[in-house]
Amino acid sequence: MRAFIKLIFLFVLATVCHWCLVTVCSVWGLSVNIMLAFSAAFCTVLKPAFGYPAAFLCGLFLDFFGTKLFGNNAFTFTVAACIVYALAERFDFDGIFPQIFAVFGLTFLVGALNSLLLVWFISASMWPGFWSLLGGSALGAVLAPAVFWTVRRVLGKGAVCRQA
Amino acid sequence: MLSNRTKQHKKYAAGTKRRFLLPAVFLLLSFLLMILPLEGFVSSVKAVLSYIFIPQVRLAHGAAKYAQNVNETVRELLDAHRENRELKQQIEMTQLLASQAEAILDENGRLTEILRLNPARRWQGVWAKVAYREPSQWNSVIIDKGSAAGIRERSAVLSLEKGMEGLAGVVTEVTENTSKVLLIRDEDFMAAVSLERGGEEGLLTGGGRRPVRLKYIPLLADVRKGDKVYTSSASSIFPAGILVGSVSGVRNDESFQTALTVEVDPQVRASAVKELFVITDGRK
Repeated sequence: MRAFIKLIFLFVLATVCHWCLVTVCSVWGLSVNIMLAFSAAFCTVLKPAFGYPAAFLCGLFLDFFGTKLFGNNAFTFTVAACIVYALAERFDFDGIFPQIFAVFGLTFLVGALNSLLLVWFISASMWPGFWSLLGGSALGAVLAPAVFWTVRRVLGKGAVCRQA
Repeated sequence: MLSNRTKQHKKYAAGTKRRFLLPAVFLLLSFLLMILPLEGFVSSVKAVLSYIFIPQVRLAHGAAKYAQNVNETVRELLDAHRENRELKQQIEMTQLLASQAEAILDENGRLTEILRLNPARRWQGVWAKVAYREPSQWNSVIIDKGSAAGIRERSAVLSLEKGMEGLAGVVTEVTENTSKVLLIRDEDFMAAVSLERGGEEGLLTGGGRRPVRLKYIPLLADVRKGDKVYTSSASSIFPAGILVGSVSGVRNDESFQTALTVEVDPQVRASAVKELFVITDGRK
């Protein structure tokens, strides 16, 4: 129960951080996705039984505010969670560099995948622009260590975590 | 043995199935959501759930606004820092100008006094300013006029203090544009002088750090404190009648003395010498 409360707290924190950064970075035209960094951090800490739903819900949450397609973010976040779990078997996410590189790559991939899904399902182009996506990915990557540290710090080694 | 291996294989297969089942379920679910039409029920559910997140949205927008304000505040702070630095420079410049103005005002006062009591009315000569003063030799100064202005060695030098002109020293070295003036206090300075009241003549010598002394005054001469001392007509260097100073004391402590030694307080102190009048050609 306590772990779920912590998860909800982190989810609320992630949403606030995401919107705040999106609002601030929109001035410079950066497509930042800090929610994805939180989602990736959840997957490195939580067991798959909790990590996948967390990632799915994080994506679904973004879908509530989308107007064109519903479920695309949930899909891409779930794909990202699959990748994180696959990478977690090979790389140690306790280090800063795996966190940075993983978040950078995933943000770019999720942005591109979202655009593809929109083209596929509703034939609408929502490509944010290469430099915008690259800049947003870089910013997300820079903030990733702080996000991972926060998630690990809050969740600790509870029953829902991989290192229980 | 075979049964153990079969059990392990079954366990691995079940783990792999579970491993892929969960993401597959969520991927399928999200795929289904994508193909659902946005109108009607989905739209209503979206709207209702969006309302739940309104507090978070407001909080995020507030934080973003604050973050943007922080940006402006930092810029304002940087501007204020720059302005502060510029103002400090202006204050320093103003202080410098004020000190210069004070020095100019002081000089103006002295020059006004010089105009009022101009020795050039009585003697031919040139005005000069102290250009350099050696810290180790406080009893001599370099002035900004030389042979080009008509100054020669052993020319008498006057200056003003407390509204009165007085003997300041003598020129000892001359170049084209500068001259060295030996002031009264220097041990090498000597001048034939006379006391105003009794008319007794003597030899004035600088004392260095000790007081200026007037020697060879007759023993029976009536010398009192405050008596004025002037240059004597017997002097071949100094024109007669230049005020040298006043008697500050008479020394009576020497045994078998044949003459009085009088201590003289110079009219022009070494530290007060700033503008000087160098006599070039005697009395007008």
